[in-house]
Amino acid sequence: MATSDFYHPSLAFLMMAAVLPFLPGNRRWKWLLLLPPLAAIYGAFGNAPGDHLTISWLGQTLRLGHVDALSQVFAQVFAVMSLAGLIFSLHVNDKAQHMAALLYVTGGFGCLLAGDYLTLFVFWELMSIGSAFLVMLNRTRESVLAAFRYFLYHVAGGLLLLAGLLLRYRLTGSFEFGPIDPAAATYADYLILAGFCVNAAVVPLHAWLPDAYPRGTVTGSVFMCAYTTKTAVYVLARAFPGWDVLAVAGTVMAVYGVVYASMENNARRILSYHIVSQVGYMVAGIGVGTYMTLNGASAHAYAHILYKGLLFMATGAVLYSAGTQKLDELGGLAGRLPWVMVCYMVAALSISGMPLFNGFVSKTMTIAGAAEAHRTLVALGLELAAVGTFISVGLKLPYFAFWGGKPPDRARELRPIPANMYVGMALLSILCLAQGLYPEMLYRFLPFQEAVGHFVPWTAWNVLQALMLLGFSGLAFYLMRKVIAPHKALNLDFDWFYRLVGRAVIFLVSRPLAAIDGVWTLVWDKVGVRTLRGLGLLSSWFDRAAIDGVVDGSAKGVKGLGSLAALLQNGRLQHYLGLMVVLGLLVFAFFWYGL
Amino acid sequence: MMMNGKMSPDEKKSLLGQFLDAQLAPGRPRIWRNAFLALLAAIAVLGIAVPNHHPHFGYDAYHFFWPAFGLGAGLVLIFVVKKIIQPIIKKPEDHYGDL
Repeated sequence: MATSDFYHPSLAFLMMAAVLPFLPGNRRWKWLLLLPPLAAIYGAFGNAPGDHLTISWLGQTLRLGHVDALSQVFAQVFAVMSLAGLIFSLHVNDKAQHMAALLYVTGGFGCLLAGDYLTLFVFWELMSIGSAFLVMLNRTRESVLAAFRYFLYHVAGGLLLLAGLLLRYRLTGSFEFGPIDPAAATYADYLILAGFCVNAAVVPLHAWLPDAYPRGTVTGSVFMCAYTTKTAVYVLARAFPGWDVLAVAGTVMAVYGVVYASMENNARRILSYHIVSQVGYMVAGIGVGTYMTLNGASAHAYAHILYKGLLFMATGAVLYSAGTQKLDELGGLAGRLPWVMVCYMVAALSISGMPLFNGFVSKTMTIAGAAEAHRTLVALGLELAAVGTFISVGLKLPYFAFWGGKPPDRARELRPIPANMYVGMALLSILCLAQGLYPEMLYRFLPFQEAVGHFVPWTAWNVLQALMLLGFSGLAFYLMRKVIAPHKALNLDFDWFYRLVGRAVIFLVSRPLAAIDGVWTLVWDKVGVRTLRGLGLLSSWFDRAAIDGVVDGSAKGVKGLGSLAALLQNGRLQHYLGLMVVLGLLVFAFFWYGL
Repeated sequence: MMMNGKMSPDEKKSLLGQFLDAQLAPGRPRIWRNAFLALLAAIAVLGIAVPNHHPHFGYDAYHFFWPAFGLGAGLVLIFVVKKIIQPIIKKPEDHYGDL
């Protein structure tokens, strides 16, 4: 896992997740949580390009350490975000939450450095399990139900990926994970694309995201908003650049997300819909597929992870302190949580693409790239989404939560926010500003350096264009501020269809299949069980009289093992998931270290 | 002021907090609004002064394209979303019985 010129960033996260339950309970263990991110930063910035870690397994070569310019830029921001996220989480005493986050980040890095589809699939599934726990561990009925839906949905997405990669292997004889020519695509490639699109929250496969993320733990959603969709963006950029369908899908996502965000009342759900929208910019950039738009997609993923993490931190801090994330229940918090408001605004102006902040140097690159590739409708759709983004995240949310949108809620008691949460927010705020002021900080890591010089963000016209677009959309908000006021409501989305499928399956199982099962049970009870009982008596006599006589105590041993296996089958999803991870890790540990 | 780990409504505020609270006092929001409108006017005038050397869509060669796009798109978006789409898809918060 680590050689002189390579360190796999997953390694320390995985080790920390394994030892965390056994560390003593004096809470000093929390400081150890900062080691994996620091090691990951060292690896992500220092790893030399190439294939570093190859393992032969079942006749296949697994490539666990594939480093190139594309994987490196994502690994860097993943590493930085893991540090900010764990600092933000340091006050949490629940080891299970930290373990879920550590495993989830392990999966994220593993996907980035996977050189083949098998390795990718293993880490892909690890991410699903880790993130399902980050929702479930919020420990409310609402969250547990959402986690269950989230996990079922991602299992379905993972199966699409698995089916695609196995069929692809039959067609090509290879698990190699690289660019696929759209002109020569097969049905297997479309299955893989569909699996990736589930995690990228491509409309209409997106509804798991605004369902689960607002229901995650305060700190868990900070991790989730950074890794799942951006890992999907990375795999799309690696395998499907220049696929035109993605240019259209990305533009639809960008506009769809802002439409739903504009009507939402729940702060973290507004931000969730904006993940769909912002990932739309990246997916569109990948679909257009020029060097400039691929650079734009990578730059935007980098900037997005920083400002979206910060947005979830700030709204999470409001939820932690005020006990609610609903805009109709909040109001006038600017004076009472001033630094949370300042950090929130840094992130909100970043996502809006305001000059000085990092969204300005990343979003504009994708839009300009699309326009230069003569994709006028794509570029205009992304500009429209920029208007909606500023209106809902830059103005609506802070207006009703922090500023004078409603009379200040002075009676609400606020829980003091721990210092580590402020440190996490400050770190990301500084990075959002620094990247905006010094785009070179970001551009020097972009995968296609030959195209970086084609776009200069800081020109008088670009600044003015952004100010005109955002300034006058601000005027639109001012004129319509009473119309856009949030109210308690649930806005139907595509999860209505997912739930319909779920209900249909439950109906199928509980009615026709249950009836067939009932008849079968009756027949079995009358015929099968009696026969078996007779055979059982016979074999029991034989066991006592013959076998235990020869091998002393074997019957007792088997009985004990049977009781243990029965204990493990307790019908609780979280136990099954945990057991699955442990067994999976044991198998992989055996091969990683044993071979 | 701390009471049982919670801040009381008359908690002591930081200088920034006091400044931000003061901006909500009667009359202050109007000053901010006027400053915002003045800034918009300045931006619009600057839009005439600074030429767009690389128009992408044709119409964006005109000086008032981006102010009109921002304002028009914003107004239409908010109206369509809140007055047309949301009334059709809106349900009670616990429509699915998850809460």
